Amino acid sequence: MPNEIDLLLVERIGGLAGFGVAGSRIRCRGQLAFNSLPDTDQRLVEALFKGHGKSKPSAQRDTFSYRISCARKFGAKTVEVPEAALPATIIACVKDELI
Amino acid sequence: MSCQCFIIPEDVLERFAKDKSLSEAQRKSFADAAQFERKWRKLRATYGKVSAAANTMLASRAQTAAPPTITVYNCNHGTTLPGIPVPYPGDATAKRAFVETKAVADFYQKLFGRNSVDNAGKTLMSSIHFSVNYNNAFWNGTQMTYGDGDGNIFVDFTRSDDVIGHELTHGVTQFSAQLAYSNEAGGLNESISDVFGSMFRQWRAKQSVDKADWLIGKDIMGPGAIAKGYRCLRDMADPAAKHCLSQQPTHYSQYKNGMDPHYSSGIPNLAFCKAAKAIGGNSWEKAGKVWYSALTGFAPQPNMKMKTFANRTRTLAKSMFSKDPAVFTAINNAWIAVGL
Repeated sequence: MPNEIDLLLVERIGGLAGFGVAGSRIRCRGQLAFNSLPDTDQRLVEALFKGHGKSKPSAQRDTFSYRISCARKFGAKTVEVPEAALPATIIACVKDELI
Repeated sequence: MSCQCFIIPEDVLERFAKDKSLSEAQRKSFADAAQFERKWRKLRATYGKVSAAANTMLASRAQTAAPPTITVYNCNHGTTLPGIPVPYPGDATAKRAFVETKAVADFYQKLFGRNSVDNAGKTLMSSIHFSVNYNNAFWNGTQMTYGDGDGNIFVDFTRSDDVIGHELTHGVTQFSAQLAYSNEAGGLNESISDVFGSMFRQWRAKQSVDKADWLIGKDIMGPGAIAKGYRCLRDMADPAAKHCLSQQPTHYSQYKNGMDPHYSSGIPNLAFCKAAKAIGGNSWEKAGKVWYSALTGFAPQPNMKMKTFANRTRTLAKSMFSKDPAVFTAINNAWIAVGL
């Protein structure tokens, strides 16, 4: 049953086109089961949720970030993570769409 | 080492380095990455200080340093940067990256006397064919990177010359005003890239302000986006227009802290467009020169407010065009129109 799975909800934001920001007509979302991730990726996600929730400022401009939540496993917390810090398994779960 | 390690939070790297559930080789890899990150951060901080000091002390170095080398690398749809070097001209994407990057360097040299993004001849490196169906282009602090687009919403990101100008201008900002990427400074940062990206596009096409369309990213829009009526990412002349993929605020009264820079940039974008149109002629001749001096002629101010930048341009308009008061009037009225 889907509601018994620890689902990661993932949204890609930012980039040159401003995905998912106020006024944007383009968004990119996806989801995947936490348990479907390889062990190393699971530990990375757990570490991200145990961290400060938002990365330090960097010199990167127009790069994507990802908002990730998993209510069953991590409660109400949402983390925002730069694309380069995420495993490909999570990045691959989202799909761009026009709204 | 791939640049992928640069922005993984250091505390995460250190946690993995001590995680006994990982193999010894994996723990060592994370420990090495954490050590590299610490050294790299020190190097970046030192370089920033040296660069700022050199800009102040050696104003003539732009003329003495060699012009920038242009390099292009092919990621072959992977995500490891920079990829494999591409000899000129390469495929159509590589050729555009070579030609348009060189043109941006010429634009900054000929119009503003700037030698590359750092004003010291820094090599301009681009990576193309990044990832698969990648709907983005970005500046990572060191180089530009371009995706091919998914062929539906977007096409190849090298197709819009203003996009190439936009990304390179992030480098100029990094080595001059050093604007942050949040709140008002973030909106200014994005606006500066749109302003000089659009100005570069107009310069390439020899367009006056009346002929220019002031659209950002017009040539990367894919058939799916065009079919839905989207003509561009942003419209500097009409930031809230329905034909924009990102519809933006047009007045400072709509600004709130925490807004994404790609949203709040609509306010200073509209101010520049109004100023340039009121002055007339070519955007790079007067308004562009004032904006460039406001960006590069002062000590770095990472958390600059929009009002501060607006007032800089007012002061500069008076001093740079003292015999042409219409420039000040146009710029002043433009900022007032957007609430600044």
